[in-house]
Amino acid sequence: MSLDVRQAVVKRGAFSLAAEFETPGEGITVVFGPSGAGKSMLLSTLAGFYRLESGRISLNGRLLEDAAARERVSSFQRGVGLVFQDARLFPHLTVRGNLRYAERRRPAARAAPIVEEIAAQLDISEFLDRPVRNLSGGEKSRVALARAMLSAPEILLLDEPFAALDGKRRRAFLAMLRDISVKAKLPMMVVTHQIEDAAELADHVVALKEGRVVAHGSASAVMRRQEFVTLLDRRDIGARIDAGAIAGGRPGGGVWVKADNVILATEAPRGLSARNLWEGHIASIFREPDGSALVSLATQVGYISSRITPEALVDLHLEEGGKAWAVVKTHSV
Amino acid sequence: MWERRYTPPQRTPLAGGASRDMVRAMLSAEEWRILATSLGVAGRAVIFSLPIAIAFAYALSRPRFPGKSVVDAIAHLPLVLPPVLVGFLLLLAFGRRGPIGSWLESTFGVQLAFTAEGAALATAVMAFPLMVRAIRLSFEAADPGLFEAAAVLRAGPWDRFVSLALPLAWPGVLAGAVTAFAAGLGEFGAVITFASNVPGETQTLPLAIYSALQTPNGEALALRLAAISMTAAVAGLVAAELIQRWARRRLEA
Repeated sequence: MSLDVRQAVVKRGAFSLAAEFETPGEGITVVFGPSGAGKSMLLSTLAGFYRLESGRISLNGRLLEDAAARERVSSFQRGVGLVFQDARLFPHLTVRGNLRYAERRRPAARAAPIVEEIAAQLDISEFLDRPVRNLSGGEKSRVALARAMLSAPEILLLDEPFAALDGKRRRAFLAMLRDISVKAKLPMMVVTHQIEDAAELADHVVALKEGRVVAHGSASAVMRRQEFVTLLDRRDIGARIDAGAIAGGRPGGGVWVKADNVILATEAPRGLSARNLWEGHIASIFREPDGSALVSLATQVGYISSRITPEALVDLHLEEGGKAWAVVKTHSV
Repeated sequence: MWERRYTPPQRTPLAGGASRDMVRAMLSAEEWRILATSLGVAGRAVIFSLPIAIAFAYALSRPRFPGKSVVDAIAHLPLVLPPVLVGFLLLLAFGRRGPIGSWLESTFGVQLAFTAEGAALATAVMAFPLMVRAIRLSFEAADPGLFEAAAVLRAGPWDRFVSLALPLAWPGVLAGAVTAFAAGLGEFGAVITFASNVPGETQTLPLAIYSALQTPNGEALALRLAAISMTAAVAGLVAAELIQRWARRRLEA
């Protein structure tokens, strides 16, 4: 167990955050929830920027804050790293200066990489001696990540550091995060409101809604729970399957398959171009107010949801327990 | 002893004169002495009060702490008090019979009243609010998010001040110091009350202008001194502005 948050309550103005969860000592924990759920506030609280009204936080068995006992470790002594959404590089220093800032202040006892190693790993070696104001958004994100890692924290919190990136660069950044968390054995806690990013990164999930933790636990368990699914936009509803189960997918992490992108068949389809075809039994049929239906199929890779039209629901004679096949185009995942 | 006759500067012929002599010849020996006294007094005033001004400015730029309004009031007091009163209060405290003044003299043999050091002290007190204001503004202009970033990189409060607050604010610190220096060249009331008007020791530009105006036929000297004073003040302001602009360009992300 890495982070242990017990009945923690923080208030900022009218908003209050109440959290209770623990995270494992390895892998990536995704903090998921819609905007305004208190995700960033949770990270700020863990980093020690906000004071607890009540409750307790500890990290690897070391007490960080206990409101009742009036004990509190300052941000700079917590061993909690934080990568901000807006990078927050020091403008008066070069890229190398920013990295050295972190390197110089880390405890000698903590094993950590050197600047050049990290720079090579994150592909920032080329502009080590540039002032930070000339960097692009993606470059800034990578420097901020490198800087946080050089500080050798016990846990690294990331507040949507990839928000400024799109498409290919975003995917590359996410893959890099997964890679680092495994190689550096650095537990991470990543905030995101994008379900695809959450599915791709998460080993564990802490789901937040309106300042409350509605679910937490392993990604595969939490992401199919009702409390989690209700956090999603209608068009994002779907299911998480392990990335390794997808044709061409890398093992580790998951893939979010949206119900809108899944085709159902009541007979085994043949001659399909789609590489992802799974057989299963219909676990549930949920009728939506507009007449369409969400059909949940239990397959050997887990539950898969498909949204079908009212007409299809009638034509296919679908019923719970019946056999069906789910087809997913790889490019939609 | 102020009754001095004005002797116009000795002009050397332009042709063949070394440039150094030409510069020297722009002002008379007396004018050079007055300017040097002014520069010395204002310079010492800035050097000694700068660390204190930085401490006050940093404290005042922090969000909240007990007694902040009191500190704020103390820092701004010289702005609203009549300069003569400031000089008088300094005399009461730092004069030879004042509690601090007598202690300084018996312990260190230092006398402040009627000396250049005293003039510097009076100038420093008067320029203090200006300096605090400029420096505080630049402390406040620094993005608080950067300090959070430094804190999670294990930088403690003093470390953050030295490694982040000062480097980010130093153009403002420099500009504040230059502005205070320029203003200090012109401090009159507090200096004449506390340090008197001793030529070569405490007779700064404004005091010399005052003396010249009290002297028959002194208008010419007064005018020349006024021009010197003006030039120095404007140069100071321009320098402060240039520093600010250069710094803004350098730090803009």
